[in-house]
This record gives sequence, structure tokens and C-alpha cells, in this order.
Amino acid sequence: MLLRFDTILAGLLQGVGVTLGVTFGALLIAIILGFALALLRVFWPSRPGAFVIDAYIELFRNIPALAHLFLIYYGLASVGVQLGSVTAAILGLGLIGGASLCDVFRAGFEALHKGQREAALAIGMRPSQAIRLILTPQALRIALPPVGNYATQLLKDSSIASAIAAPEIMFFARSLVTSTFETTLIYVTAAGLYILMSLPIVFAVRALEKRYAGGRAA
Amino acid sequence: MSMIGFLQPFAEYGGEWAPRMLDAARITAAISLWGFLVALGVGALLAALRARKHWLPGLLAQGYVNLTRGVPLLAVLFLLYFGLPGIGITMSAFMAGALGLGLCFGAQMAEVFRAGLEAIHRGQREAALAVGMTPMAAFRLITLPQLIRIIAPSLVTTFVALLKDSSLCALITVHELMLEGRALATEYFLPMHIFLAIGLFYFAIAWPLSLAARVLGHRLNRRRAGAA
Repeated sequence: MLLRFDTILAGLLQGVGVTLGVTFGALLIAIILGFALALLRVFWPSRPGAFVIDAYIELFRNIPALAHLFLIYYGLASVGVQLGSVTAAILGLGLIGGASLCDVFRAGFEALHKGQREAALAIGMRPSQAIRLILTPQALRIALPPVGNYATQLLKDSSIASAIAAPEIMFFARSLVTSTFETTLIYVTAAGLYILMSLPIVFAVRALEKRYAGGRAA
Repeated sequence: MSMIGFLQPFAEYGGEWAPRMLDAARITAAISLWGFLVALGVGALLAALRARKHWLPGLLAQGYVNLTRGVPLLAVLFLLYFGLPGIGITMSAFMAGALGLGLCFGAQMAEVFRAGLEAIHRGQREAALAVGMTPMAAFRLITLPQLIRIIAPSLVTTFVALLKDSSLCALITVHELMLEGRALATEYFLPMHIFLAIGLFYFAIAWPLSLAARVLGHRLNRRRAGAA
């Protein structure tokens, strides 16, 4: 029993690197893309631009992640763009995350009092300076808790990359099932592994929140 | 590739794809609704446990919520469908799918219920008890109607999230939209077209619901702003 657990754990650990890679790769894309789109959506007074961004958000938020991954991995390959399964997973989850985080960052900017911007302009800042020095730091602070929640969600969602054969934890869980004929123990161990991995993210976000909340109170 | 050339397969095979996708969409709708019902039950149970004065039920409920928050839905589905037969519990893929969705989203639902209950002023219930209602009557006649109105937008958003995640049931062989998509994709060698069509199927159901949730939310905010 113990020996078998060792084998299972060792097998599953092979997938940890890819799980973390997909999670953090997608998180990076999602944050950069989401923040850039939120800036455009809030400060760029263009109707066609807003329409395009909104359409992107609606399309990516109302279609399952699995459909996006299949489109990017199998669909693009059929028209000659062959991506690796890990690349496809990072790209797909990142693009979906960008749509979610755009809304998060946008809400952060919109929660700020408009006096902030007016005061910055009144003391002679250029609009770009006001955005960079005054508005962005405050908006990011507001957006931090939902971004943290999103990161823990993303860690779990990275498991669907196994559906396009990216060698992450669930992928190894499935291949272990066929080689050891053990099932319950494997999936319970995999679930435990995800919980363990999500803890550092949860604590990091909580610590950051506490730090910035303290900054605001002072 | 020209746009017309790209669209041609839809014209050519659309008649063969549409009925099969519609049939599969029915399974998607059914499993989502069943999953939603289970989630409502689990969420209500967790909310009721939390409302107990004793510390143990609350701790159990919180433990459940924290646990499911860290575990991927996919792991739960695999555990229910492939794992449980190992210890003698067997169920159909559809049942495992609905149950897995319900167990995972039940935790989310508990949070929705809690937020809703916290938004209702304590005095509402106290006044109801003061005029002689039984606790059950106070809940049914005073708390519940307000609760439903407050959480309606969140319920719809949760359903949309559940509907999207029901696509994972394809990986435990539930014959829903995504599995049909994979079958069609291998049959016709047109994954780009098929998965676009499948994606639009989901979009056609999810988007109107998302819009409805937004309208409900705005209406609720307006009413509250008016009341304040």
C-alpha cells in the first residue's frame, strides 16, 4: 500500500512542473492583456475600439475553456498553425483570463473617485502621468483580491490542459490509472496535490492584501 | 484561405451537423440543470449548517468549502466516475457528471446564499418573530422572498459558469455537446469549423443568460439605491 502510494506520488509529481508552467504562463498573459485592455477600455474614447474589446470579452467569457483549447490546438493545426499542447494551453487560458481580468481591472479604475484624476491634472500632471502615477497604483490595489482568486481558480483550470494531452498532473493521473489499475488513490492524491499547491497562492494573496490594506489605513 | 472558402463546409455539412449538435445540446442542458439543482441543495445544506449555533457544523461546512475550492472539477469528475468503482460504487457517466458539478458548485452556492442572507437586515427576522411568526414562517414569508430577489443575479452567473464547465463531462464520456464536437471533428476532419460551431452553441445559451444577470443586477442596485 505504502509502496504503491510512493509510486503514485512520484508519478504525479512529474506533472507539477507543467501545471505550474501553464498556470503562471497563462496568469502572466492574462494580467498583461487584461490590464492593457482595461486601460484602453477606460481611457480610450473610441466607440469601435470599445465594441471590439467588449466583443472579445463576451466571446471568451461565454464559451467553455475546453472549446477554446480545442479550437487553438486542433483547429489551428488543421489550418497549418501547429502549436505544442503546453503552448496552446497557456495561450488559451491566458486569452480567457485576459477577458476576465479586463473586467476586474476596469472595475478597479471605475471605483476611483474622479477627483483623483482631476486633482492630478490640476497640479500639472499630463494625463499619462496621472494614469501611471496616481490612478494605476490605486486601481491595482482594489483589483488585487479578485486577481488572487483568479490565480487559484486558474491553477485548478490548468487541469483541463490534460484534454489536449499537455503532460500536467491530471495527464499523469490518467496514465497512471492505465499502468497501475489503481484509481481512487490516484485521483485523491492528485486532488490533495492541487490543494497543497493552491495554499501558497492563497497565503501570498492574503499577505499582499494585508500589506496594502495597511498602507491605505496609514 | 478566402472567407467564402472557409464558410463553405458550414453550407455543405451544416445540415448533417445541426441535428446531432442539437441532440447533444439537450444533454448539456439536462446535465447543467441537474448539476444546478444538486448545487442548490448542497449550498442550502451548507448555509443551514453555518447558521447553527454549535461550532461543529459551521466548521464542517467551512472545511467543505475550503476543500472544494482547492480541487479541480476535473479531479472530482474522474474520482466519481473512474475512482469510485474501485471501492464498489458505480454510477452512470451522466450521474457522476451532474453530481460532480453539483458538489463543486455547491460550495460556490453556499457563498452566494451567505452573501444574500448577510444583505438582509437582522431586524426583518426579529420583527417577524416579534409579531408572533414561527421561525419557519419567518423564513418562508419574510426572509426567503427577499433572499431570492437579492441572489437572483448571482444564481444566473453561477448557472452560466456551471453550464460552461459541464463541457468537462465530455472527458468522462457524457455524450454532451463537447463530446459530440470531438466525434464530429474526427469524422469530418474539420476541427476548426466544428469547434467554432460548438463554441457558438454554448455562446447562444450562455450570453443571453449573462446579459439577463447583468440586467437583474442593475435593477437590484437601483431598487436598493432608491430604498436607501
